[in-house]
Amino acid sequence: MTTTVPETNGVPLPHVAPATRPDRGGTGPRRGRRALTAGAPRWQIYLPLGLYLLFTLVPFYWMLLFALRPSGSTSLVPWPATTAHFSKVWNDLGFAVFFKNSLLIGVATLVMTTVVALLGGYALARFDFRAKRAFLLALLCSQFIPGALMLVPLFQIFSELRMIDSLWSVIVAETVFQLPLSIILISGFIKNVPVSLEEAAWVDGCGRIRAFCAVVLPLLRPGLIAVGSFAFVHSWNHFLFSLMFLSTQEKYTIPVGLSYTIGSGESVELGTLAAGGVVAAVPVVIVFAFIQKWLVTGFSAGAVKG
Amino acid sequence: MRAPKGRGARLAAAVAAVSALALTASACGTDGKGSSGSEGSGKGTVTFWDNNGGVRTEVWKEIISRFEKKNPDIKVKYVGVAAADVQSKYDTAIAGGKGLPDVGGVGTAMLASLVAQDALDPVTDRIEDSSLKGGFDPDLVESVQVAGGGDELFSVPTSANMGVLWYRTDLFEAAGVPAPTTWDAFFTATEKLTDRKNNEFGFTFRGGAGSIAQALDMMYGQSGIDSFWNGDSTTVNDPKNVAALEKYVALYKKTTPEADLNNDFTKMVAEFDNGRIGILQHNLGSFQNHLDALGQDKFAGVAMPVDAAGVRTTVSNPVDGLGLFKSSGNKEAAWKFIEFAASAEANSLWNESAGAIPSNTQAQDDDWIASAGATKIAIDALTDSRTRIVQLPYYLPDWNTLSKADSEPEFQKVVLGRLSAKDFLDAFAGKLNAAQADWKKHNS
Repeated sequence: MTTTVPETNGVPLPHVAPATRPDRGGTGPRRGRRALTAGAPRWQIYLPLGLYLLFTLVPFYWMLLFALRPSGSTSLVPWPATTAHFSKVWNDLGFAVFFKNSLLIGVATLVMTTVVALLGGYALARFDFRAKRAFLLALLCSQFIPGALMLVPLFQIFSELRMIDSLWSVIVAETVFQLPLSIILISGFIKNVPVSLEEAAWVDGCGRIRAFCAVVLPLLRPGLIAVGSFAFVHSWNHFLFSLMFLSTQEKYTIPVGLSYTIGSGESVELGTLAAGGVVAAVPVVIVFAFIQKWLVTGFSAGAVKG
Repeated sequence: MRAPKGRGARLAAAVAAVSALALTASACGTDGKGSSGSEGSGKGTVTFWDNNGGVRTEVWKEIISRFEKKNPDIKVKYVGVAAADVQSKYDTAIAGGKGLPDVGGVGTAMLASLVAQDALDPVTDRIEDSSLKGGFDPDLVESVQVAGGGDELFSVPTSANMGVLWYRTDLFEAAGVPAPTTWDAFFTATEKLTDRKNNEFGFTFRGGAGSIAQALDMMYGQSGIDSFWNGDSTTVNDPKNVAALEKYVALYKKTTPEADLNNDFTKMVAEFDNGRIGILQHNLGSFQNHLDALGQDKFAGVAMPVDAAGVRTTVSNPVDGLGLFKSSGNKEAAWKFIEFAASAEANSLWNESAGAIPSNTQAQDDDWIASAGATKIAIDALTDSRTRIVQLPYYLPDWNTLSKADSEPEFQKVVLGRLSAKDFLDAFAGKLNAAQADWKKHNS
């Protein structure tokens, strides 16, 4: 069995993704970009970008500054630097444990969301069934229901299932809330993969599952990365479910830990708050740094069809 | 392509749907409100939710450690919840029917809501039968009683806070103005310490979250009106209070930074600690922040100013306490923990760490009070016969909504001059009167 999957920079892409169609050659988008910027003075490009970066980076700088400079310092540079705030949040406030819990929840949510979204998305893309449109509509509508509204019913359900104060309650709730959008995205992605590719694999003797794994799955990598990363980042940042469903200090997550550092209406320790913010932000920044090249492709190719 | 539609698949789908509905129905059928719990064996595990997790975690762990040494049969499971989120966590657990702790930190600001939901056991009789009998500051006991809506105590008071004016002694000295101990001195100082060109301001204003409580303190402090109610009507829109609010709001931009419109306590404290601000109106809790940022010699605290006759009028601050939850299955052990935590030894330790006023009268005499300047001043002010305390209606279940979500955006309009102080207070008073009438209807 052979495949005709094009690859760009090692990233396999669907045949129909217009920006990287092989018949237009790999330099198409670059030529287009040059045409767009030809003749424009550099400052017209870099000034808005610089301003935007300034607005984006100043809060990060503020966070790093307060995290690294000693309490009481009014210096505008984090020097002499101290790790006291990090030590406090990591050791005293228990961020080491919170970090591990957040990581567990994030990874489990990522895996469950991706797997279920893949199955659901495939069904939506490849099969016709009764009430398919209604189902899609229901998926879309579920996006308008805020998590806070479902808090009490979810709490009651998890109570009945004896899942309160278990990380699984948060994982299940996060997965359920991530699924609608993920299924729609993956479904759009699968629709972009021609059925004929799968049919060719069937002719070569593959069953449906093997054909899916061997032919379709590799083409979905950008979409899977986009969906998985968003599931991870969302569950990493999400505060409400962890706060409500977990009632043991050792099971708390990073966002709940961060709420500790905000203060009580009486006092606030900005250094601790900032150090907690840095600990919370670092994994997200790392995740996005690694996956950003797939992320853009994933959303641009998968999101336009539903 | 079409999906296969076997009987098995349809049956599985039907079973799944029915199971989900049954599960949801059974879940929605439970309601733990008023669940009576039991005394238990007096041993085992007691779950305790701290209503100020993070900030007070260390001191609570020390108290728990001492308690467990004295009571080796009881283990306390500490769960810290951030102050801003604790009410939601209680409410969700109550609505969810399960998951409430045995003991929880309960301030008077949330007491009415928990009492209305029948979540707390009264503790008056338990106090009478224990070593805590007669050991609490009567003013704080009264605040807890009022917040509970009657004579019954629904939490054991542990500490109180008090509005304080923190001021920069170095700036006051340089400008040659006296400490803001009277209202005239306060307003004079805010003007003299303001130099907008050099980014120096006499005062920092709370225009964002929490603005109403401070505005009320400023209003009643100036007007000298010593009761929140006059019969069934609130005094909040009394002409004297309207005039006081106008004077207070006029400070915005004149002697305060423009950004103060959105100040919550965090921003306000940060401004005072990191800039050149003459006076900050806050409470005892931010003492440590000022100490860390400014050092001992550059700031001091005074109780809210007195009027020309030397009378100080201040609104009641929330009194923190420990509640025994009705649903607890181990009330005997839970009460032992509460009794220990409210004892002179533990109460003193906790309040020294928090820089707050101990509820235990024995703890109020401890040595650390004398060296904790602002706390001493606050206790003296609290016990001074010329101090009048206006009890805010924490017992109204809607108090938090009325004084926060409903009023804070409107207050910002007053600050910006888009709404008059009188119209704002009239509207606020109307809602309060309606809430009071409703409360009386259900509690008469």
